[in-house]
Amino acid sequence: MSTQPEFPMESPLLSDQSRGIRTKARPVASWREHHGWSAAASLRRLMSRPVGTLLTVAVMAIALALPLTFYLLLGNVQKMGEALGQNQTVSVFLQPGQSGSSADLMAKKLRDRADVASVKVKTPDQGMDELAKMQGFSGALHTLDANPLPFVLEVLPRTDVNADGVDRLVADMRGLQGVDQVQDSGTWRQRLEALLGVGERAVLILAGLLAVAVLLVVGNTVRVDIASRSEEIGVLMLVGASRAFVRRPYLYAGIWYGLFAGVLAAGFAVLVELALAEPVAKLGQAYAGKLQIDVLPPWLLASVPVAAAFLGWLGARLVSAWQLRKAA
Amino acid sequence: MIRFDQVSKRYEGGHEALSQLSFEVAAGEMAFVTGHSGAGKSTLLKLLGLIERPSHGVITLEGQNMAKIGRGGIPKLRRRLGMVFQDHRLLMDRTVFANVELPLMIGGMAPNERAKRVRAALEKVGLLSYERQLPATLSAGEQQRVGIARAIVAKPMLLIADEPTGNLDPTLAVEIMSLFAEFQSVGTTVLIASHDLPLIKKMKKRVIVLDHGRLVADVAAQEVL
Repeated sequence: MSTQPEFPMESPLLSDQSRGIRTKARPVASWREHHGWSAAASLRRLMSRPVGTLLTVAVMAIALALPLTFYLLLGNVQKMGEALGQNQTVSVFLQPGQSGSSADLMAKKLRDRADVASVKVKTPDQGMDELAKMQGFSGALHTLDANPLPFVLEVLPRTDVNADGVDRLVADMRGLQGVDQVQDSGTWRQRLEALLGVGERAVLILAGLLAVAVLLVVGNTVRVDIASRSEEIGVLMLVGASRAFVRRPYLYAGIWYGLFAGVLAAGFAVLVELALAEPVAKLGQAYAGKLQIDVLPPWLLASVPVAAAFLGWLGARLVSAWQLRKAA
Repeated sequence: MIRFDQVSKRYEGGHEALSQLSFEVAAGEMAFVTGHSGAGKSTLLKLLGLIERPSHGVITLEGQNMAKIGRGGIPKLRRRLGMVFQDHRLLMDRTVFANVELPLMIGGMAPNERAKRVRAALEKVGLLSYERQLPATLSAGEQQRVGIARAIVAKPMLLIADEPTGNLDPTLAVEIMSLFAEFQSVGTTVLIASHDLPLIKKMKKRVIVLDHGRLVADVAAQEVL
């Protein structure tokens, strides 16, 4: 780049005050004016073909709504898992023949542990009652002469004990004398956690892929738009428009597409929330009101249109740079 | 103002449109470039608007070597030129006013000043009452005049026109040419490519004659018969 001005000020024609465009040093005002014009003109163009615009926006919105919805579902499953996990007791089956007093003694010892919240002793009779309440068992139970059930200790780990801690507790209890077997229903919790980890990663990957899809949709729409206006672009360049000037309306079109799609996607996500609210509430009742739908935080919903507008701008920017590279 | 020094232009494929062309046009001068079709008239004008670049030689405009104008400098250069095309190159979906306003908008002029300039330019070409119309509703001659108004609205230092009367009947053609002569009379340098010899003779201006990209004659205004 030469540091010299393109047309030296000594040029007799430049010093002629009647000639050329006197902009009176209003670069900011004219820049702002053209931005306003570009934003309005691109919006008018989009509105002038509502069906095409709507289709593009809808495709983008669905692409954006999918990861949002998965994120919402994932959050709820996670919350559900936590809520259910809190009820997870470890059942310690004592060997048959262990007496009530030895069961009580063992319960007392376990209660003293720091990682145990509570221990409930279930007698063989209580176990029999529970079985009898279950449909279909009562008939079969009458045929038994004696109660074959052992004493059972229902051990509830403290909620702040993690999966490894529960594992240690289970291992300790397995080693206790008089214990027949320990049923750790907590393993499904671990599996759920692992599954949720996979789900979270999958949502991230999906969001990335769909963001690329949004870029491609905007990019292609803008590409077609630019191609159909190649004549106009040629005229603009011939009368002295810079590339930035020519590009501006298309960048705004990208921003509009993204913004509309983002708002629509946030709307979709709210609809999904509403659709899920009732079944989740029912599920919550089944768990004594411990469950409530986990809604998407407002900041996330608000950031979707912003992020989508950025994606729209980026797609338009990439395509227009590529498309206008040959325009002279 | 314009200086061609041993300028050649060879297009991809080997066709040489201009070959070792040298001439000068002084500031405020009006000249015709003529020759049969394919003589290199359009190429010459395209080099001035940096639509094409020369293969060899140096073109100087207002003392500046045009080869030194990079891609980023092209818009600036074009804002100082007025270009008129045979096919008008108007934006058919914008009004006559908006078409003429375009160079001023690109140049960043304030809206109220733009409106004044646009109306002055339209009045000059006799189309002030058409400002709200779309170009398609105008005749070919009127569309060409809109193109001229757009070319002169920013008061360019140099006005170049490629076959501006190509599609017009003789009376209209004379009118258009007289319009260009008027701009010359207020100090604009004017360069017009045309193959319409009878019309050129009537204008009594300098004539540069090309044949197969070579300069074969350069007739001064007073020598035009």
